[in-house]
Amino acid sequence: MSEDPARAALDAAVLAWTREEPWRLDEVRFERLALELFAFQFARCEPYARFCSARGRTPERVASWREIPAVPTGAFKELALRSFPASREAHVFRTSGTSTERRGELHLDTLVLYEAALLPSVRRFVLPDLESGARARLRILAPAPEEAPDSSLSHLFGCVRREFGDAASGFDVRAGALQIGTLLAALERAGPDGVPVALCGTAFAFVHLLDALAARGARLALPAGSRAMETGGFKGRSRELSREALHGAIEEALGIPAARIVNQYGMTELASSFYDSVLWDPSGPRRKLGPPWTRVRLLDPESGDDVAPGGVGMIAILDLANTGSVLALQTADLGRALAEGFEVLGRVPGAESRGCSIAADEMLAP
Amino acid sequence: MSAADVAAALERARDAGRLLRERPARSAVDALADVLDAWRDPGSRWQKALAEALPEATGFAPETVREGLERGLASFSGDALRELLQREIGGADALDAARGRRAGAFETTAVVLAGAIPMPSLLSIAAPLALRSPVVVKPSLHDPVTAPLLARALAERDPLLGACVEVVAVRRDDQAAIAALCAADCVLATGSDAAIAALSARVAPPRRFVGYGQRFSVAVLGPDATRGERLALSVEGLALDVALWDQLGCLSPVSVHVVSGEARAADRVAEGLGAALARAESRWPRGRIATAAAAEIASARAEAEMRAAAARPDHASPAVSVAASPGTAWTVVREVDGALRPAPLHRFVRVHPAPDVDAALAALRPAAAHLAGVALAGFRDAGADVAAALADLGASRVCAPGALQSPPLAWRRDNLGVLLPLARWTDIEL
Repeated sequence: MSEDPARAALDAAVLAWTREEPWRLDEVRFERLALELFAFQFARCEPYARFCSARGRTPERVASWREIPAVPTGAFKELALRSFPASREAHVFRTSGTSTERRGELHLDTLVLYEAALLPSVRRFVLPDLESGARARLRILAPAPEEAPDSSLSHLFGCVRREFGDAASGFDVRAGALQIGTLLAALERAGPDGVPVALCGTAFAFVHLLDALAARGARLALPAGSRAMETGGFKGRSRELSREALHGAIEEALGIPAARIVNQYGMTELASSFYDSVLWDPSGPRRKLGPPWTRVRLLDPESGDDVAPGGVGMIAILDLANTGSVLALQTADLGRALAEGFEVLGRVPGAESRGCSIAADEMLAP
Repeated sequence: MSAADVAAALERARDAGRLLRERPARSAVDALADVLDAWRDPGSRWQKALAEALPEATGFAPETVREGLERGLASFSGDALRELLQREIGGADALDAARGRRAGAFETTAVVLAGAIPMPSLLSIAAPLALRSPVVVKPSLHDPVTAPLLARALAERDPLLGACVEVVAVRRDDQAAIAALCAADCVLATGSDAAIAALSARVAPPRRFVGYGQRFSVAVLGPDATRGERLALSVEGLALDVALWDQLGCLSPVSVHVVSGEARAADRVAEGLGAALARAESRWPRGRIATAAAAEIASARAEAEMRAAAARPDHASPAVSVAASPGTAWTVVREVDGALRPAPLHRFVRVHPAPDVDAALAALRPAAAHLAGVALAGFRDAGADVAAALADLGASRVCAPGALQSPPLAWRRDNLGVLLPLARWTDIEL
């Protein structure tokens, strides 16, 4: 726990919320905690305070969580956005990127709330049918946290394995390579035992697995009840697949129905993540849902206002579990507002190729 | 259009090309020159038709299209075509030469167009025709106007020349139709690096592939262009260069590198450029943009504002600053170093300080392979040396601010010639 009493009180309040079942949106509580956290971070994080002041948004002038200025995710590449003294830093997660690329960093003084915020969503949206006290067979297409200590995704998978995984669960990426032999052996063992597998990993690791299976001419039929959780995009990779194509290929090669494949929308800069609703609400439309201590806004980039339901806008997220950095984030991802939840459309690269100019991030690409 | 349709178009073009090559080369060049002269006249029905149709098709504002066409087509004259032919080929006679150097044409040239800016499309179609190579044109998704209109203009002036242009509607994911198109003897393509690489892989020797990839441009301003009247002229010119075609052309500057030992010089340029872009917006409004593009701008702006806010306000050292319109119409970010950053385009400019020319060149070096034009001013007698250094870096054009969007017809885009890459040379030594 933080030595700062204001921070300790905020952490305790959010921690209590992460432990509640059933989930309750609780607008009043969210509003109160968001404004308290904003005032706290305004006082502790100097760059954020100046950013807010430049926009005329100080704690005295902000009356609703919707008015809290959101920090662009790109700023995490430029600045250490800490709401605690640098001397108390305990952990840094970094965004993926090449050696020459600037990487975003989330600085943390404690992992207690961070981990408490990520686990309930995995439980609800990826393992909703896991009985209390039971353990799941997890095969993870990502490096273990020991191998990638600054990867928030590896950390998430490490926590998930610790909390929900059985003895035969494990990581299947080592030294940057998918360990196809051990993975296939593990998956083949699950078949005769009839143990459903939760296959989790980055979208690109799934592509590697699918390519490896195709090269062997192999197709698996994982036991009923198996599922997949994939996350991330294909930026900088040699091969890209649409989400639909990826899910179709997973269904074809692994026998996991597309309706049991969950895409996670998360980012290093946030403690909480959002997941497809398909396992939690199989009869409803596929949409992204998140925990009640978060809020998502879809903003018109021209006006900064919320778009109407059904409209497309930039995804902005408030996450009360981000007590140690800043709670409001502005992404450059596009999403569509739905009656409940939202749909991620991504960054739609190349949508505007009306000219022959090239954007600087492309021209600097290795 | 199916692959069979494309193959049939290619054969029709091949037949028309045979007939065209039976005529003296000069007659085809004369007809082409007449069409260029007609198109460059702002009062001509052709330029008017283009100006009327492009805004709806491309999303550019009508005012921007009119100004862009007038300036862009100004150098596209018949005489300029003849001069180009003389310079690169040795004149029209070299196309009919029976001894010495003879410039031949490919029997067919497929032209794959990209983007919504009409001048490169116009030139890509005209260049093979000047050599009497018939063309099968796949128009850009973003500009379905220019190619058919040019085909009509050519047919009116010279029916056989018109018959040498086949416009085919091919979906970019129709692999069979693309393969049929790439069966031409020469393929001239513009597009993203990925698209160029994919197309070039389909064209094996002896067939020829000529690709023009995506590029960017910059401005480099010396000390003399950072104050007074010269500053005003430079930023006014740069605002025009940025505003035309909404900064989407390869000759649109995305960054300004201010070479000066004085810290405030970059501030003055950024302030002046912001004011000039605001004036440009009232004359040539930015066109419609996709939500994704607006999101990139909003995000890059907020990121710069965050860096600006993060700097301690001690007034002693330079700081990031942002000048921007309401909405996303234009943005100027004053950076504190030379490091290139993402350019969301659509009138988003970064102003970088550089203590000396070497520092500016070093800042550009990581992206030099994609450099097209440089607007240069403010170096007095040293200007020629700076231009030479930029040429060595890879720039294919160095000009004054305000002139980037009106390149000469003979500009060697991508450091290549216009006609030269499309010709087949024979040395007749008899």
